[in-house]
Amino acid sequence: MCGCLLLSACVQAPVFETHNHAVLRSNYPVVRLNGEAIEPSYRLDLAAGSTVAVIVYNTYQFDYHCTFSWEAKSGTVYEVTDQENRYPLTLYRWVRTNSLWASRLEPTDPLDCVKKKRGSA
Amino acid sequence: MASNIASGFAYLERNAGVTSWQLRPEGEPVLNFVKPLPAPWLLVVINTAVAPMLNADVLPGLSALSESIVRESAIAFVNSTTSPGLEGATLDVDDGTRQSEQWRSSLGFAAEFTLKRPIFNGYWGVGIIGGSLSDQSELVADNGQTVQLDLTREVVALRGSFGLSFPINQYVKIRPYLSLSVSDLQTESIVDGLSGLPAPDPQTTTAVFNTSAQMLSTTGSLEALFSRWYGEKRLELSVHYHLIHTDAISEDNPVLQTKAWNDVLQLKSRYSGPTGLTSLGRSWRWLLYANHTNFVSQKRISLGYTSLFEFGGGMEWRMNIKPLDWFGWQMLGIKAGVITSEHVEGYFLGMTAR
Repeated sequence: MCGCLLLSACVQAPVFETHNHAVLRSNYPVVRLNGEAIEPSYRLDLAAGSTVAVIVYNTYQFDYHCTFSWEAKSGTVYEVTDQENRYPLTLYRWVRTNSLWASRLEPTDPLDCVKKKRGSA
Repeated sequence: MASNIASGFAYLERNAGVTSWQLRPEGEPVLNFVKPLPAPWLLVVINTAVAPMLNADVLPGLSALSESIVRESAIAFVNSTTSPGLEGATLDVDDGTRQSEQWRSSLGFAAEFTLKRPIFNGYWGVGIIGGSLSDQSELVADNGQTVQLDLTREVVALRGSFGLSFPINQYVKIRPYLSLSVSDLQTESIVDGLSGLPAPDPQTTTAVFNTSAQMLSTTGSLEALFSRWYGEKRLELSVHYHLIHTDAISEDNPVLQTKAWNDVLQLKSRYSGPTGLTSLGRSWRWLLYANHTNFVSQKRISLGYTSLFEFGGGMEWRMNIKPLDWFGWQMLGIKAGVITSEHVEGYFLGMTAR
């Protein structure tokens, strides 16, 4: 019973800041948002609309600065992760399917990924 | 002779956990076999149940069999079934002097999970594994006597893995991880045609033994993985090395109270591309693969092979879900392949998940 309760609490719907916002979750740090440098963040509340984010995929040899551009829709969750696709990172629309799992839909590649020496800005 | 038989029988009852006997007049065939084997094939008489009686004191003429071979055989079967990196398979060994059929199957899952601050990621996996071996051989004892063996082994194991994944760059990862598995091994052995068996009746030439053993395996694995996209197609190459320490416990077979080190090397390759097909809005990809598995420290007499080649293809569906909102489950696929090696033919047909 306790296990069921724990499991059913695993996949939770996100809380949006306002009605006109979306959420960006990332397994890697977001360092630029809409052209402005920001503190490295893993969760951001976004105003709905055109969004450009730069997210860094870290490896021991290089950092890959990947630029994503998409139209963020109100009340939608987006997630960036590495899935060994053509680019190091992929943007998905995250949807809570039920309490046990979520779905990653509409994979979107970055516009480009700039390879930089590890640790360089 | 009678006292030897009686004492031998008692020895077996005490040390080998004999649970049943079949008494059969000498000369009545039990198993159908291929041509007689040369004397070195005596070394193939590997069975946990038979092990305690395979001493020169009990069965003169079979002194070539050593306890170490018995141990290695049992552990080789468990390792070739439960080692990390192995998938399902059905194998037939037929080298003219030995016929065996082995299968293994597993239900499990392994995935990386992201650790946000450090560069490396975590890696975990769980699996339940089952396998069996039916091994039939005909032997010629030192005195020219024909001995027939029919061995059946079954194993069920649980395995858990945990480790790290270090991305060197976009294309290369190094993944060390540790696996623990617990296996339950059941063995039935039928020895036929061996006069001088330790039984009360001098005419007895057939004996049936049932024994069990539990094995705790600790495996240290190191994997190097390369993957690169060429347009819509993807090439994956990987090298896997597994160092296995096995601790075996048996209440009814003291020969298997043992510990052993073994290692397995695997080379895997895979090439995949888009099919243009979709289901529920998710795409299907075709794949071709070729794998080589080398049981480096395994002796040929243990199972009849020391390496396997596997070639095949399949389809994968990119279902892309995130169970428990924790780790990504990207692919669900079907795969079929052929397995081959010297004197070995086999196949794999099943589902895969990653």
